[in-house]
Amino acid sequence: MGAFLVVMAVVGPTLAPFDPTAPVAAHLAEPSPPGAPFYLGTDDLGRDVLSRLLYGARISLLVGLVAMVVTMAIGTVVGLSAGYFGGMVDVVLMRLTDVMLAFPGLLLAVALVAVMRPNVWTIFVVIGLVSWTGVARVVRSETLSLRERDFVVAARAMGASHGRILLRHVLPNVAPTLIVIAALSTSGTILLDAGLSFLGIGVPPPTPTWGRMIQEASSYYRVAPWLMAFPGLAVLYAVLTFNLIAYGLADQGRGAP
Amino acid sequence: MLLALVLLPACRRDPPLDWPARTPGSQRGGVLRLAGADDVPTLDPALGYDSRSWTFEQHLFETLVTYDDANGLVPLLAERWDISEDQRHYRFELVPNVTFSDGTPLTAADAVGSLERVLDPRTRSQGAEYYRGIHGARDFIAGTAPGVVGLAAPDATTLTIALDEPDPLFLEKLALLFASVVPAERARRLGDDFTDQPLGSGPFVLREWRRGERLVLARNPRYRRPDRPYLDGIVESTGVNSELAWLQFLSDEIDVAGIPPADFPAVRRDPSPVGQLVRGPTLWTTYIGLNCQMPPLDDRRVRQALNYAVNKEDVVALLNGRGVPAKGIVPPGMPGYASDVTGYPYDPERARALLRAAGHEDGFSTELWTQGSDLDLKIGQKIQHDLSAVGVTMEIKQVAWSSFLEAIRQPRTVPLFDLGWSADFPDPSNFLDVLFHSSRWDANNHTFYANAEFDRLLEHARTLPDRVARNREYLTAERLLVDDAPVILLYHPISYVMLQPRVHGYTIHALLPARFTEVWLDPEP
Repeated sequence: MGAFLVVMAVVGPTLAPFDPTAPVAAHLAEPSPPGAPFYLGTDDLGRDVLSRLLYGARISLLVGLVAMVVTMAIGTVVGLSAGYFGGMVDVVLMRLTDVMLAFPGLLLAVALVAVMRPNVWTIFVVIGLVSWTGVARVVRSETLSLRERDFVVAARAMGASHGRILLRHVLPNVAPTLIVIAALSTSGTILLDAGLSFLGIGVPPPTPTWGRMIQEASSYYRVAPWLMAFPGLAVLYAVLTFNLIAYGLADQGRGAP
Repeated sequence: MLLALVLLPACRRDPPLDWPARTPGSQRGGVLRLAGADDVPTLDPALGYDSRSWTFEQHLFETLVTYDDANGLVPLLAERWDISEDQRHYRFELVPNVTFSDGTPLTAADAVGSLERVLDPRTRSQGAEYYRGIHGARDFIAGTAPGVVGLAAPDATTLTIALDEPDPLFLEKLALLFASVVPAERARRLGDDFTDQPLGSGPFVLREWRRGERLVLARNPRYRRPDRPYLDGIVESTGVNSELAWLQFLSDEIDVAGIPPADFPAVRRDPSPVGQLVRGPTLWTTYIGLNCQMPPLDDRRVRQALNYAVNKEDVVALLNGRGVPAKGIVPPGMPGYASDVTGYPYDPERARALLRAAGHEDGFSTELWTQGSDLDLKIGQKIQHDLSAVGVTMEIKQVAWSSFLEAIRQPRTVPLFDLGWSADFPDPSNFLDVLFHSSRWDANNHTFYANAEFDRLLEHARTLPDRVARNREYLTAERLLVDDAPVILLYHPISYVMLQPRVHGYTIHALLPARFTEVWLDPEP
């Protein structure tokens, strides 16, 4: 499943039969149903749905993955520091996390996009900024238990620096959990990106994104349901894929000695 | 007036004075339910200059004269009037015993005070420009006179107006809602708060206005026509975009709605399962305004290139053909419309050549501001694609209607904006002068276009009493304007509105937005 998604994102655009932003259908304002040469139909602007879906895959996965990296980076740094140093550092960082958690993620994202200019880079940052809290909490609790383990205590006794202990001893032991969260958080960020696009504040047009495709199709769902169904299925497929990857990884983790 | 939405329902006739008898079969009672995306900007007739404000203002207030179905002027608050030989002195006899909705009498002094209020610079009315020709108005505006000498009320029902120069359009200007008669003393006292506590002599009164939620009008019990209005009230829900409005219409939650492009083909084939389809004439032009002060749009060749680059036929197709591609600014049906203004056919080659000549062979980046209905965004994306084909990268920025209006008034802020203009009175000056004269930068000239020769032509045309000669002069000006291309001409919309089967007496008028005085509803089953 994952392989198919990656293939779609990497070579999809070269497979796309048409320019995703160009009107290629014979007429505007009346979407044509699926059928050759438009295998998934065309939208009201006469654009090929299949081509838009393939290009959209790249954007959605790119946003999903890059935003995931931003999320993981912030979450890991905060979680490691809070768990390892404890005391005031822990209190301050965890209260900050609580404050961030108190905001509904989507609302916070909408507010952040409103103050920045919406483009691909803003979306990466915004999604990262609103979704790191879960990661931070998990990493912190793992770190809390790790820091009392013998090998960490030993390393500290041998005079290792904090940085060395964190990078060489704590982080590798948090990694298996991190990888599982990363997979889960990717599906989360893909959903959030689709949500932002649906609200009209995601990656701006003409870049095709799945969320925007769903939004633009919403006025046509009675007369042209396929316009909404295909991008919707694509989001479902991507989210399901990353969730299954996460569960698979988690199972492996449990099975390992 | 400014058009908020191209799909917005418009209009209704209100035959004055020799009132027709009660429409056969008509029923009194019921509430007309409407919906709109944004708040109504204002209910102060001195301030409103857009289709949404005017829709509600004209139910609260009355002007001296108004328009009949054929766009002819007919009496409203003025029973009759005389114009002197030299065309400079007007004498109006007001209908006697008219009261405002609180019972205080409406007098000629209120009419004088209302016009002075519009002219007063502290009111900041965009309508002031129309009444500067009244004798003494300039001194009053400059603050060197306490009142306008040319306005007088010899008795309670007589109003006299003296002009500096003959103005063949003066009566038409008195039909604008700016010239609504308000209780002058109260309006002066309330100042900017008059919009929250409006009081007039119209068929309805303001019952409730919660911004962001709803606006409710109720029947004016003191309205001087005892059998009008038929309706008990009008409720406008706010925050309902055109898509949602259509769904609410389908579930019978509102009575009037524009038709989304997705549903239009089916509705046109057979409207009966949904309601009644009403089509009406409009005098509208929609365009993309180009800020002539912001490089590279300050170069005429660039502006022409953008005009050639956009395929207007496609834009009209996106509207399911509910429009005519625009070749000039003055819409078909207006006096002074000329079918031989050629506009800009779709010609990307020519656009590229012009951009090359202007030193932009690699294109440039710019930004389109739109008030962001679903359809506006679709049209925006179509234009975005057309422009990208000639190398111009255009971003689309979605803004709420009131912020949009505020932003386009600021110099050097908004490079491209989509907007429409609907005729206020049947004369080319209402498009050419109002939208493009360089003295209108603080009013409706949002393109900040300035051309001395164009200004001179308009100023000369204004003084010509003969309609034919005037229109000829305006045509010369329009050709000059189209050549200068301060806007990308898009299309002249054709208005279609859907009504619930129980709504009667609703027609579309070319000059005024929806009026509901003659609308009646079938009784609830």
